Amino acid sequence: MSEIAIKTVNLTKRYSGLWSKQPVDAVKNLNLEVHRGEIFGFLGPNGAGKTTTIKVLLGIIYPTEGEAYVLGQPAGDPKNHYKISYLPENPYFYDYMTGREILTFYAKLFGIAEPERSKRVNELLDRVGLSRAADQPLRTYSKGMQQRIGLAQCLINDPQLLILDEPTAGLDPIAHIDIRDMILELRNQGKTLFISSHQLSDVERVCDRVAILNRGVMVQLGRIEELLAGGHVEVIADKVPDNAVEPIRQLGGKVSLHDGRLIVEQPDNGTVDRVIDIVRAAGGHIISVKPYRRTLEDLFVETIQGGKNA
Amino acid sequence: MNATFAIAGATFGEAVRKRILMVILLVALLIILISPAFEPFAAERGARTLIISFGFGVIQLAGTFIAIIMCTSMIPTEIERRTIYTILSKPVQRYQFVLGKFFGAVGTLGFMYLMMGIVFLIASRMALGDFDPKIIRGLIMFFFQSSLLAAVVLFFSTFVSPLVNYFLSGGVFLMGNLLSSFLETIQRNPEVTPLTRVPVQLLTVILPNFANFNVQNPIINPEQMLTDETAYLVQTIGYAIVYIALLLVASMLIFNQREM
Repeated sequence: MSEIAIKTVNLTKRYSGLWSKQPVDAVKNLNLEVHRGEIFGFLGPNGAGKTTTIKVLLGIIYPTEGEAYVLGQPAGDPKNHYKISYLPENPYFYDYMTGREILTFYAKLFGIAEPERSKRVNELLDRVGLSRAADQPLRTYSKGMQQRIGLAQCLINDPQLLILDEPTAGLDPIAHIDIRDMILELRNQGKTLFISSHQLSDVERVCDRVAILNRGVMVQLGRIEELLAGGHVEVIADKVPDNAVEPIRQLGGKVSLHDGRLIVEQPDNGTVDRVIDIVRAAGGHIISVKPYRRTLEDLFVETIQGGKNA
Repeated sequence: MNATFAIAGATFGEAVRKRILMVILLVALLIILISPAFEPFAAERGARTLIISFGFGVIQLAGTFIAIIMCTSMIPTEIERRTIYTILSKPVQRYQFVLGKFFGAVGTLGFMYLMMGIVFLIASRMALGDFDPKIIRGLIMFFFQSSLLAAVVLFFSTFVSPLVNYFLSGGVFLMGNLLSSFLETIQRNPEVTPLTRVPVQLLTVILPNFANFNVQNPIINPEQMLTDETAYLVQTIGYAIVYIALLLVASMLIFNQREM
């Protein structure tokens, strides 16, 4: 069994309208590998090409150039669809159906016969916490309940790979945490999750690796901890004499001194102790030492704005 | 076939809950129910002709509206709401989706025709004192007419927007009802040039002939005499089935290439 769940090779999707002069590359030369068993965050601003890529992976649209493989098979192979699942952003399910009926409907699409079908539907309703609302029409469900039923329909075939588009968008904090926990639970069961999201704090918390797409081009790819390395520590001290500034500055930090109040933004590379020693030796008084970790949001903004300015 | 029937079931379930379709059905049922009240206007054609023609007229109109309204939005709405993505990401082939949608539409039409037929039979029995077998035959013909129209609408919905589809399907239905009579008229007229006749002939062959299904209506076809009514019925239904099959194949081929 291949260790790669998703692979794209120079994937390009070009749209050329009937009347538009200039064709637009929604995705351009995308080379991506998602490993089995990982949670992969697929990020980018609106219009970056995330949903287009997902649609290619599902065979809903076809690539203009390049190749895409899902679980070792060419993308869109319906036989492969027994092993994958997809939750679109803000999906609409037939709202006259009850939670039980909609899951039964999706189970029928997989050809799951009775009594296995009812057993699986009941298990899933229980798993997503909707057993009590199972016989209510979906139109009476809250957004959080709809999202849970969406996740349940994703699990009806016990998939190896789940592709989730904005799984936590628009949810209240409790529903948000619920869905996030379910995602982590699925990873613990060995499933691969490919998540497209704007909820960067969620992605940072649950994903192993991320890719950032901008204008159809992949601009970042890597493990979260590697991409977010390079935070800094802010040291604030008082009663620091002028002659202490130069040795601190030589350690590589950003230093400002005003009326004896020193603020140092020191790279998080083990030199913070030296800064504190210098301040104390000079008779200064440490007020606070505060580490600032680089967040995914910082990385995202830097990457996208960097791209805009380029 | 499991997936096709699951999609057909969901389509039927959604269609019979659409308010606009239910309003059309209820209005039609109401008009059919009160149709015997128009008996005084029968004049020389007689109460039977008036009641049957009136009932058929209402049923045909309701069936036409239901088929067009139901099928124009069927596929575009699924794409707009993204429901289709959750379906096509399952092991469902695109042709199964198109077939499921069509079977769901035909099921809905069958349900609507059953309701209107029952009320029509009751109303005509009350007004005329007997069950006219013509009603059953007429209902079957109009059901197949609407099913053929549903296939036309579904075919267009695989590549045009709902608004364009309304006009296209409405136009095809209108032309399909009028072209054969128009062709007969111009063929009888020696002054018509081939430049006019040939395109009309061509269109009559290409477009579905909806007029064939109106034969049971004594007002539309007052002098129509069928030597073998059963053979005509079977032939017309056969025509509808073949045409529907061709339209479905074309719909599947187009939908298979469509990017959503």
